[in-house]
Amino acid sequence: MHSDKKLTKEDTWRPEDLRRYVREGGQGDDRARRRDGSERKHRGGESTERRHRDPEKESRQERDKHRERESTRERRDEDRKDRYVEQRKEGSRDRRGDKERDRRDERDKEKEKRKERDGLVDGKRYSDDYGGNKDRKRDREDRHDRKRDEERHRDKEKDRVRDRERRNREDGDKGREERDKERRKEERDRVHRTERERRRHEDSGDAGRDRIEMYDREQRERHRERERLKDNREDKRTDKERRERHEDRKHSEQKEERGKEYREEHRRHKEERERRHKEGGCDDQKPKHDSDSRVHRDVKRSGEEEKHRLGNRERGDKDKQRERRHREDEDPERKPRDRQHREEEEDPERNHRDKKSVSDQSNKPETTTVKSEEVETEHWTISVKDAGDTEEPVVDEEVVDQEYEDDFEDYEEDFEEMDPSENEGEDEKESEEFPQEGGEREEVTTQKKKEIEAIQRAMNEENERVGTDQSIQSTRREEEDEPKLSRGHEKNHSRASQRGKFIDFVAAKQREFSKKVATKQKKRSTELLRLIDLDFSMTVSLLDLPPVNEYDMYIRTFGTANTKQAYVQCNEDNADRDIQTEEIEVCEKWTQHPPEHSGACGDSNLSQEAQGRNMNETNFDSQRLAAFLHSASQVLVVLLEEDQAERKSLSKLRTQKDTLSFSDGSLQLNTKLPFLYDRPISLVYFSQVQRHTMMSVHAPTTKPSAVRLDSCTIICIWNIWEPSRPQKILVYESEVQCCCFSPGKAILVFAGTSAGSVVLWDLREETSNHYRLNIGEEEWTFRQPTFSTNAVMAASGHFSSVSSVEVVPSTAAGGLRPEVPLLASEEESSGLSFQLASLDESGVLNFWVVVELPKANEAGSPTDLGLRPGGKVKLLHSSSLLTAERVSQRDAVKTGPLQTLHLKFLPSDSNHFFIGTNMGLVNHGTSHSLKATPKFYRFQEAGVRPVDVNSIHFSPFRQNMFLVGCGDGSIRLHTVSQEQPVAEWRDSTAGEPVVSLQWAHTRPTVFCVLDAASNLHVWDLLKKDTEPVVTERISADRVTAMAVFGDSGKQNTYSGIALVHESGKIEMQYFTRDFTVTIPAEEEKLETMMTEAF
Amino acid sequence: MESSDTYLIRPHHQHKFKPAIVKECIREIVREQLSGVQYDPEEVPQLSRTLADSVKEKVKNAGFERYKLVVQVVIGEQRGQGVKMSSRCLWDADTDNYAEDVYMNDSLFCLVAVFGSYYY
Repeated sequence: MHSDKKLTKEDTWRPEDLRRYVREGGQGDDRARRRDGSERKHRGGESTERRHRDPEKESRQERDKHRERESTRERRDEDRKDRYVEQRKEGSRDRRGDKERDRRDERDKEKEKRKERDGLVDGKRYSDDYGGNKDRKRDREDRHDRKRDEERHRDKEKDRVRDRERRNREDGDKGREERDKERRKEERDRVHRTERERRRHEDSGDAGRDRIEMYDREQRERHRERERLKDNREDKRTDKERRERHEDRKHSEQKEERGKEYREEHRRHKEERERRHKEGGCDDQKPKHDSDSRVHRDVKRSGEEEKHRLGNRERGDKDKQRERRHREDEDPERKPRDRQHREEEEDPERNHRDKKSVSDQSNKPETTTVKSEEVETEHWTISVKDAGDTEEPVVDEEVVDQEYEDDFEDYEEDFEEMDPSENEGEDEKESEEFPQEGGEREEVTTQKKKEIEAIQRAMNEENERVGTDQSIQSTRREEEDEPKLSRGHEKNHSRASQRGKFIDFVAAKQREFSKKVATKQKKRSTELLRLIDLDFSMTVSLLDLPPVNEYDMYIRTFGTANTKQAYVQCNEDNADRDIQTEEIEVCEKWTQHPPEHSGACGDSNLSQEAQGRNMNETNFDSQRLAAFLHSASQVLVVLLEEDQAERKSLSKLRTQKDTLSFSDGSLQLNTKLPFLYDRPISLVYFSQVQRHTMMSVHAPTTKPSAVRLDSCTIICIWNIWEPSRPQKILVYESEVQCCCFSPGKAILVFAGTSAGSVVLWDLREETSNHYRLNIGEEEWTFRQPTFSTNAVMAASGHFSSVSSVEVVPSTAAGGLRPEVPLLASEEESSGLSFQLASLDESGVLNFWVVVELPKANEAGSPTDLGLRPGGKVKLLHSSSLLTAERVSQRDAVKTGPLQTLHLKFLPSDSNHFFIGTNMGLVNHGTSHSLKATPKFYRFQEAGVRPVDVNSIHFSPFRQNMFLVGCGDGSIRLHTVSQEQPVAEWRDSTAGEPVVSLQWAHTRPTVFCVLDAASNLHVWDLLKKDTEPVVTERISADRVTAMAVFGDSGKQNTYSGIALVHESGKIEMQYFTRDFTVTIPAEEEKLETMMTEAF
Repeated sequence: MESSDTYLIRPHHQHKFKPAIVKECIREIVREQLSGVQYDPEEVPQLSRTLADSVKEKVKNAGFERYKLVVQVVIGEQRGQGVKMSSRCLWDADTDNYAEDVYMNDSLFCLVAVFGSYYY
């Protein structure tokens, strides 16, 4: 910008010389040129403004745009102000400088100096150029410079003003010489110029010659316009100026003319273009070094611009560069304007110039004033033009646009609309300005200020007006920012600072651009839409994040607490196999506890044969083992006890040897048990099969004891070889009258009670099922009866106390020998197929079948209420017999009611039973109403005596013989077949009733009798068949009951007698050897006795 | 701006908008910038902006000529709420396309969607 100004300043230097010396017509040209230059400046100013705006817009948001625009407008105003000032100053300075130079030239005619100055200015220019396009800075510098210049020049101005007239007069003389020189120079420059142009074309030619040509044309056009304007104006002005010297100038006319000229411009385009072409050749009149430097500058500037506008579009850049180049091209054209004009106007307007020159020359004295006026008017026109040129560059640009795109025809109208108002404003200024201008130079600055103020005022008004327009257009303009900016870049930014009210045209241009762009877009879209199908895409789900429910949230936050993940793989080699573990071996085994039928365990996979064998073996083994252990344990216990007992008995025997003559030794059972304390023993009974098993019946005691079993009868089961304690303890609530063991092994105990009930105990029951009592330190188990007929079978039971209970011998008559092996009897008993007979005192004989249930019911049987829960053995009532009737018919009168006291079965035939009565008779009956041959067995003498039969005992050796002990002390020996006794001993007991009478087990002819006076008589029929062999009187502790025990097989140890003492002691007396060892003649003795008796 | 009547209404195959590539771009940038980031309402607006810019730059350099890009970044906090987002476009399905990728960590989810619209 600055450089351009200088350029113009410099350029105007020489043409002014020329003008002054050669022709007055040059003035107008010069003015036009200047205006052109100022136009350029304006354009440049605009571009810089645009450029300023660009970064701002980029940096700021769009919302700021409006505000920004306002601010930029303000700025622009300021710029304008500055520019005006500058232009004014510049103009004046130029002229002053020119005039100084003129003076110097005229006086000294030193072209050398001038050239030097040019060089200096050029140097300045260079430096400015190097400074780059930072316009503002430069502006400031320029202003400083100008001020300095102004001050410098102001002093000179006075001289100048004074000198002017003088100078002008001298001009006339020297004018011719200089004109000649100028012509010579002109020719020289023309050559230079053509060369330069050629060069320039070559430079830019590659990119697009057409455009350059277009630009050239444009510029030429512009030139022509200006020239025309100037010509017109000059024509008038020359007239006017002359007038104006005397009167106020009428600028309105000029303005009108200018408006006309604008309109005319387009009309003349073609002509002008043609003319321009011609002019092109004459443009260059500049000194060579000047032009060179300018070329340099061009190059540099373009480089800088390229740097600055890297981001811009290529085309914009190119355009600008070209434009600038053209503008610069014009610069030289401007310098030699006068000459150009002179030459140009040779063609159409020669007349004018001729006239002028003629007039100039003819009116020589006037010319001085005219010249001065010219200078002033020039200055004035420049300023006016500056104000008015706000439009012109746009016009020019629009012309350019027109040439690019031929659709901007309506643009001029916009400007024309604007023109009048602007012109008016300017007119005012000018009118103010002019008289002062016409006056003195000293007042220039103040005048300028005023002018500037006025201009500013006017511009502000206009801006406000335009602002409203702009605000309306603002939205559109925002849209069009992009194209506008690009457009803006096309303008020369090196002349940024000079700018007038540009905004109107920006708006208009924007509107136009937007229109253009819109139409283009529309066209484009219509064309494209034919080719393109737009469609709705599917609704795409970009994100679908389901809400987390509470459980997931909980698990997410706490689920992993205290857990650890681990994995394990079995069978690592076969990672791909579905089942990764080894095949599981399966084997079926079973076991059972307790082992019942076929063993404790088994294996189903073994062969059936082996299995069966195994099972048999195990079965056999276990059975045998159980049997073995059972017997062995018993044997061991017995042996130990025996050993101990023997030692005791031996010591006892020594003391007791005196008292019991038959005894070989004795053993005392331990009856000093707390629950047996002070109980009388009513009965002692030995098992017929297990001869070492004995039971003792302890009657209930009246004295209270520590144990609460006082009212109960206690039955103790003893093993005589284990005298320390009873094996089992049985209890029953009522008094037990009689009892017996089961046949075979002693596993059941039957008892008849005084209450008429028959009870049985199963000794095999486990102790855990029974009532246990801790007495002292020992635990005793008291067994309640397994089955009781008490009140259960009231209809079929006994109504009086049971006097005798007897097991019905098995019907295999004659077979049951004591020698029957243990196992056989055991087997027999295990079947438990036997009958029980019970006889009550009223003679009712009941037969019971003993039944063993296959399975115990722990819960108790709902039907058999007499069966204890868990019990397996029960009694079934089979038949009932009344045995007492027949006997009592005759004797009942004398002796009262018959009582049946004792029941015995014939061991060899279970159908025959013998009942001892209270009539001294033993009735003989049969169970199946068979004929009993002797109905009864009587005393030796006939007749019935009321004597109780207390004891009946069959001989174990001869089963058809039995002994009967009677209450009167008589003892009878009967055979089954005879009514009369074989033998009868009346006074053997001295009248004492016989309590008990039993055969010895080892000797057939020996039996023992206990009488009520506690006398024990031992009979040996072989030795003495009239009286007992031994009679022992036990007076110290009365013997209340006795039982003979012994085994014929084991004679040595098994023969003895159990004596029950009054005190409750049970004493086992072993017979001496002579009572136990069998004598072969004994049975013969009995035979002989039988035969003797009958 | 020479408005000749020949239009390039289809992109070259190699310049066509390829969702897979764009998705990879998104994924890379998002992983890079969001890994280990906790949701902070103060920072997230800036974060999403920078994210969008960097995604745009990256996709621009991927060589989809004549494509206008729209990058949408949504960052939200993960508090167990349900979120549903969907998009719908009126476009030329032959040339235009989109790519999206979702990044999630414990405290936030981030969805980046890039729409490429062909400029004829």
